[in-house]
Amino acid sequence: MSEVGGGGKDGGGGKDVSLRERRLARAFVRLADTLAEEFDVVEFMHGLSVDSVEILSAQAASVMLADMRGGLRLIASSHEQMRLLELFEIQSAQGPCLDAFGSGRTVQANAAESRSRWPVFARQASQAGFRAMCAVPLRARTDTIGALNLLRGSDELFSDAELDIARAMAQVATIALIQEPALRERSLLAEQIRLALRSRVVIEQAKGMLAQHLSVTVDEAFELLTRHARDHGRRLTDVARDVVERKISPGALARPIRTRSIRRG
Amino acid sequence: MWNEKRRSRIVAALRGGGGKVGAGELMRRVCGFAVDEMAVSGCALALISGAESLGILASAGRHLARITELQFDLGEGPCLQAYASGIPVLVPDLAVQGAARWPVFTGAAARPGVRAEFCFPLGVGRITIGVFDLCRDEPGMLSDEHLADARVAADIARDAVLYLQDPPGHPALSALFEIVGMDRLVIHQAAGMIAVQLDEEPSDALARLRAAAFESERSIYGIAQDVVERRVKFGE
Repeated sequence: MSEVGGGGKDGGGGKDVSLRERRLARAFVRLADTLAEEFDVVEFMHGLSVDSVEILSAQAASVMLADMRGGLRLIASSHEQMRLLELFEIQSAQGPCLDAFGSGRTVQANAAESRSRWPVFARQASQAGFRAMCAVPLRARTDTIGALNLLRGSDELFSDAELDIARAMAQVATIALIQEPALRERSLLAEQIRLALRSRVVIEQAKGMLAQHLSVTVDEAFELLTRHARDHGRRLTDVARDVVERKISPGALARPIRTRSIRRG
Repeated sequence: MWNEKRRSRIVAALRGGGGKVGAGELMRRVCGFAVDEMAVSGCALALISGAESLGILASAGRHLARITELQFDLGEGPCLQAYASGIPVLVPDLAVQGAARWPVFTGAAARPGVRAEFCFPLGVGRITIGVFDLCRDEPGMLSDEHLADARVAADIARDAVLYLQDPPGHPALSALFEIVGMDRLVIHQAAGMIAVQLDEEPSDALARLRAAAFESERSIYGIAQDVVERRVKFGE
């Protein structure tokens, strides 16, 4: 663990905690910010992996999420070597992440323990230079929706305090994930409404322009617009925009009604 | 999330005796709730497109929707800023914080006795579709409680707009315009007519309409009505 001089609290480990606290606060502020803004799951989870490596003195971290069929998918990882290892974990169907996901509990092991629990995965992990490892489930009420996985180059197990922090970060990530579908749906609806309102304004402007050009009422102008759209198989909004941008001459829209009125007269 | 409890409490208050509440009625109740519970003298929900009000979805209180509409007539004020920035604009003392930023609006709002204004955008991410506007007849900041309530109430109103769908997945614009009425659309029709009269863009025509309203001390809506009914022509 790193030592930081100056400004820390007294007592064993106090200086470390102070740096960690600051990093942790920064990470949570960033997590909370993401919730308020538009939200990209992969980017968010990548940030979470990178933050947890920094805060929890790990060498690598990754996040796996349950897919539709109940299997796990790798969503983000702090390092490329971690990505390969996690893909291997999924493939070999053994490892801390799968256990945490399956049991809904935090799982951790040093190198020796991991060799006996997940022999295939442990060999691969040790080749990549990892020894101690832990996985924290992402839990939403009673469901487990994924897991956060942390790997260390040293064989030192994660302390209770570190596991608490990992669980807190996993909790925030879970909240973000649960929020996300609702957020995406709202964004989509808001964008549709914004576009629809804009079309509405353009249609009203086009009605006014036609009414003035052709000396008709705005209601008659609207009729001309809809008729032209129908006759040419075009959307009303597109025809209205062309009128406003003066790409269609008002005369082109006037013809049908004039013809009719001549016949009538 | 952290606001779930607050939201549940406000939703319960808006539901009243229970039963299904339509979107229009829900928005009226949101405004009523603001006036009754947040110590404000006026409240309005406005639907906006391209910094133009398309109409008032609902309003309540002594100052009703006039103060909100006034900003769109004048082309300045906290609502336009909230709409453009997507973040709430809180003005606890208009005379102090408003005079330099929105001189015309501040003066005009003082006449009916509006001293403070708090405006919340209705939006998701960077997309804003309207505002929730509160005004007060005495200066002073909203309390923390009222501020938190106002944010949640704005979200409830926004969701009422967003989930007004027909068919499912598509916002029902006709239902929205049923709620706001078509009145305000006449302004865009008039802008189209003036654009042809003066051979310019509708956006420039709108600015002229606004200037004419200001000079004649009439509402932009009234002048637009005159243009559309051909009692007034520009460029003569």
